[in-house]
Amino acid sequence: MTALDEAWTVSRLARMIKGRVEDGAEPVWVRGELVGIKRYPSGHLYFGLRDATSKVDCTIWRGVASRLRTELIEGAEVFALGMASVWEERTSLRFTVTQVLPAAAVGAQAQSVERVKQALLADGLLDPARKRPLPAFAARVVVITSVAGAVVHDIITVARRRWPSVELLVVNSAVQGETAPAELVRALHIVSRLDAIDCCIIGRGGGGKDDLAAFNDEAVCRAIAASPVPVISAVGHEVDVTLADLVADVRAATPSQAAEFALPDRHDVAVRVAGLHTALNRALRNLVTARRARMDRTRDRIGAALLDQLRRSERRLLTVQARLAPALSRAVDTRRSKLARLTAQLHALSPVAVLGRGYSLARAGDGRLLRQVADLPAGTAFTLTVADGAVAARVED
Amino acid sequence: MANAPTLGDDLQRLEEIVRRLEDETLELETALQLFEEGVGRLKAAQARLTEAETRVRQVLDDSATGDGPLRIEPLGG
Repeated sequence: MTALDEAWTVSRLARMIKGRVEDGAEPVWVRGELVGIKRYPSGHLYFGLRDATSKVDCTIWRGVASRLRTELIEGAEVFALGMASVWEERTSLRFTVTQVLPAAAVGAQAQSVERVKQALLADGLLDPARKRPLPAFAARVVVITSVAGAVVHDIITVARRRWPSVELLVVNSAVQGETAPAELVRALHIVSRLDAIDCCIIGRGGGGKDDLAAFNDEAVCRAIAASPVPVISAVGHEVDVTLADLVADVRAATPSQAAEFALPDRHDVAVRVAGLHTALNRALRNLVTARRARMDRTRDRIGAALLDQLRRSERRLLTVQARLAPALSRAVDTRRSKLARLTAQLHALSPVAVLGRGYSLARAGDGRLLRQVADLPAGTAFTLTVADGAVAARVED
Repeated sequence: MANAPTLGDDLQRLEEIVRRLEDETLELETALQLFEEGVGRLKAAQARLTEAETRVRQVLDDSATGDGPLRIEPLGG
């Protein structure tokens, strides 16, 4: 509670109430009975909406009233789209209405949409498993929309930002009004005749117009389902989901969002490409490094094996040599003692040994043994060999 | 254009090439060939990224059913 000296002004209170009611408010559909309809000379319309327990005062401003298609009939059941607002001068609450639809007509339309939905459902066209993925890198995208609307512009803006290399093909079609269903079916047929299309955006701008009938049309829905390329619906309504949205492969709230779904972001792709660049270089470098290490290891292994073999051979050689040496010396000894024996035998048979017993040998100058007296005429010079040597001798006369 | 590899093809092949190069048992000759192919595809991908101008054209068909000859013209032209 405030003190007296902090008392609010009336206008502050009125502003506070207005703020509480209006700030953050959004349009809502209200169903009720029309009561007390008054059309003022200014063109504004005033009436009440009532149900069993409550009544709310409503206003339709001149600008909206002049374009209103529904005739307001006392006691009729209607849907009114509007927002609560406060008229500050009197702090009176009003529901400011921008759209009125007769409940009976709405009911009929809703019934028809339900019938089409059941038919599509029965044919499996609403099956989530039918939904196709969008291409990752669209090169050619078709846009079905009214070229008079803002859709193409919105999509171009997104394309230039995200994926400028894309080619956009526009197929013009009415998106609301009586001719819209047939034109949309025709446009979808044209798309099916084009080559190399990555996906198709079918849409209309927002702007609060509520004629969505074409996007609930059975023929349009079936044509979308039959499209050879994935279809993104962008009917431009966050709240109302049309049957076209249910049949399409992807639903976007707006054409801009549809373009974002259809096109990759080049910055993301650039990051991916740069990553692949690095990975490619690194992979080759690693491969070469690994190969070199493997070669080094192989060389080391071969070297070690050779050395090992060399050592083994050397050891074997030493062993053989060790065994061989005693064998050799044994053989030499055997031969040496045999030699000594033979020498002794030989010595025993030697004529020199006979000389030791007092015999002597007479030899001519040419070494011929002188055996008989006839060999020794007087005056013959000869050599006489005794046990310890030889002397020169001559036969005396 | 229809037979040229798309960017998606290029990126997918590049990923495969990197995967294969990570296999140490690969023949060096094969590795070099793969690497060269990878470099080519990288260049193609980078070229696609730098293409700047979004082309916008309108598909026209004068028939009521959409079965007539198709014309592709500049939008608004």
